[in-house]
Amino acid sequence: MNRRRIAAVARKEWKETVRDRLFLLMAFLLPALWMVVFGYGLVLDVEHVPFAVLDRDQSSLSRDYLYRFIESRYFDYRGSVSDEREIDRLLGDTAIRMAIVVPERFEEQLLAGRSVTVQTLLDGTFPLHADTTKGYVIAVNNSFTQELLTDFLARTRGLGPDEARRLAEPVSLETRYLYNQEVRSTWSMVPALIMFALMVASPLLTALGVVREKETGSIYNIYSSTASKAEFLVGKLAPYFAISMINVAVLWMIAVWLFRVPFKGNIAVFIAASMLFVLCSTGIGLVISLLVRTQMAALIITIIIAMVPTILFSGLLVPVSSLSPGAQVQAHLFPMMYYTDVVRGSFLKGLGLKSMWMDLLALTGFAVVLRLVVYGLFTKRPKA
Amino acid sequence: MSAKGAGVNDKDDIEAGTLRVWALRLFVMTRKELLQLRRDVPLLLFLIYSFSLSVYISGAGISMQLNNASLLVHDGDHSASSRELIHRFRPPYFRFDGEVEDQKVGVQRLDQGTAMLLLDIPPRFHESIVGREPVSVQLQVDTTNAPQGLSAAAYAARIVGEFSFDLASFRLGGASGGLMDMPRVESAHRVWYNQNQDETWFQSISHILRMITLFAFLLPAAALVREKEHGTVEQLLVSPVTPFQIMLSKVLAMTLVILAATALAMASVLKPVFGVPIKGSAPLFFLMTALYSFTTAGLGLFAATVARNQAQVGMMALLGISPMLLLSGIATPFEAMPPWVQTLMALSPLRYFVDVTYGILLKGVGFDVLWDSMLAMALLGGTMFGLGMWRFRRQFQ
Repeated sequence: MNRRRIAAVARKEWKETVRDRLFLLMAFLLPALWMVVFGYGLVLDVEHVPFAVLDRDQSSLSRDYLYRFIESRYFDYRGSVSDEREIDRLLGDTAIRMAIVVPERFEEQLLAGRSVTVQTLLDGTFPLHADTTKGYVIAVNNSFTQELLTDFLARTRGLGPDEARRLAEPVSLETRYLYNQEVRSTWSMVPALIMFALMVASPLLTALGVVREKETGSIYNIYSSTASKAEFLVGKLAPYFAISMINVAVLWMIAVWLFRVPFKGNIAVFIAASMLFVLCSTGIGLVISLLVRTQMAALIITIIIAMVPTILFSGLLVPVSSLSPGAQVQAHLFPMMYYTDVVRGSFLKGLGLKSMWMDLLALTGFAVVLRLVVYGLFTKRPKA
Repeated sequence: MSAKGAGVNDKDDIEAGTLRVWALRLFVMTRKELLQLRRDVPLLLFLIYSFSLSVYISGAGISMQLNNASLLVHDGDHSASSRELIHRFRPPYFRFDGEVEDQKVGVQRLDQGTAMLLLDIPPRFHESIVGREPVSVQLQVDTTNAPQGLSAAAYAARIVGEFSFDLASFRLGGASGGLMDMPRVESAHRVWYNQNQDETWFQSISHILRMITLFAFLLPAAALVREKEHGTVEQLLVSPVTPFQIMLSKVLAMTLVILAATALAMASVLKPVFGVPIKGSAPLFFLMTALYSFTTAGLGLFAATVARNQAQVGMMALLGISPMLLLSGIATPFEAMPPWVQTLMALSPLRYFVDVTYGILLKGVGFDVLWDSMLAMALLGGTMFGLGMWRFRRQFQ
């Protein structure tokens, strides 16, 4: 390995990148832009569920009951209907996601101390949302029942309100939310978005850098030059590595200063992990670039390989632990999951090397293996 | 090339045959695109993978619903009551991952991310219940992933609430010497369109949506930029084909490819493996897929007219596609997003195609309900295609 030759390749690559103004702008702008747009926009909480009501009772108690949904921030009231067929139409048109049907004699039955069944109709096309909505409805029903029961006991047994409440709710649950006390999805999203931005932009930069030379034929200059395989690869990577590391710093600043996500962990561990991760993501780009011939193929394959597993199997949206075994295997085969662990651990949990050395080791492993694959695949004497 | 020559020879009745010639030229150009794509073997293999195996993996593998949340218990009581309560935390939502002797050990496991919840049952739990004293149990939830954490907490609250209600009714019933009436609002749910909340349906369909979007944007955009980069676009422009034909043929070819790939995904994975019902009209669905491909291709072509090389078009694709994929309502609930994002997403054709796809496939609705989404897609596609055409003409003529 000759340092001057590496520097020469790197300088050439750097010049080509800098000369392409639009590309250079995008390389820096894109990650920051994503961070801001997705940080604010990618809200995972199921809120403002649009719903309609069909109140067959029209009593003061039923209105009191429905009012709990209407004033809740989880639901958006879209009006009341008089016919079940209308619900059908609204659900079909996605104007509402849920409808509540209050039965006749709702008030009468409850005041007499009998149980009443309230039916909710849910749009099941998005099972997660349907399920979460169901949870909200049950929570409202339970708390309403609790109050009714307390009232009922106070009325029928002549107990004081405190005593009645104690009788009505013998066991309660106190929940403490760790690491993200206000349960803000921004806090869980923003650190993981650093991973997303690095994973999606860096491989593309690298892959196109190599395939461009293959397609235009300028790679023959390299084949016939004195630069060795390793020197070429290192030099080629250097500018993209530098761009990505600058992006890491910018993204970190956006997360901490703009989104006010606390950084509780060890900055050295975070930087080390980021460097390893950038080596992995650029390595993926290099591998793809060596397997395909055209820039078109490189572009499409890199974007899809970078985006799809990153959205699905990195823990960005779905925690890896709730994937099926097959998908978990796939999650472990990509470096994204490990880096997501490190980023979230560093930001929210305040973990250090002691609890995250496994993730760092895995990232190192990926970086090394990817380098070896690249070294094996790349040849200065192609057959055709 | 020979077919194109035939087209030029039709000079005799050029008036009568203009349309025929025009169509023939378009056909030849479309064929050329398909041939070029066929020669790119790695890309073709990848296309097939994306619409078959990959659909299966994400359909079968991803569940965003709370599933197997790992639960640790610190049982300070070890009584019949505490066991009864623990027993109620059941799969598929919770996975009991054992007891910890010390609360600290439990918190450590939460730190490492090997457990998600820690339930803490206090000493004298049973005694308090028997002695009619109110008692509370504590739950610590890892909320680094906020929605899952909330969902787990909601289920836990439901379980403890029911436990508590059962105790209360048993106790009150016991006191009055028989079963007693108690007021209670019970919840009955009817889930429409996907009664069992089978998530494979949702995930496999949304994966196809993702793939259609990516390919519909990238294939024509990359094909056009390649011609610009290689200079073959100048050759085409001196030939009798018009810029409109050049662009349209790319869209046509890629739309055909995407329709075939979608059909492959439906026939190989969606129907046989996951049993996704196609409640509405299949021809309507394919027609809409074609419209959506056209619209998205319009976006791609517009990007291609701005970009000068593949690297630029790649960056612009990332700029355009990632918000579409993440914010159009397949990754997150659309209604919950901030109003400005919802407004911005009116520009995303995927936002409409999501409603159309789920509407046709799962809800079985037709043109009468979906016409507004279709119109929006057509308008967006037409505008983007027109803008692309305008830029393309200006660049080369």
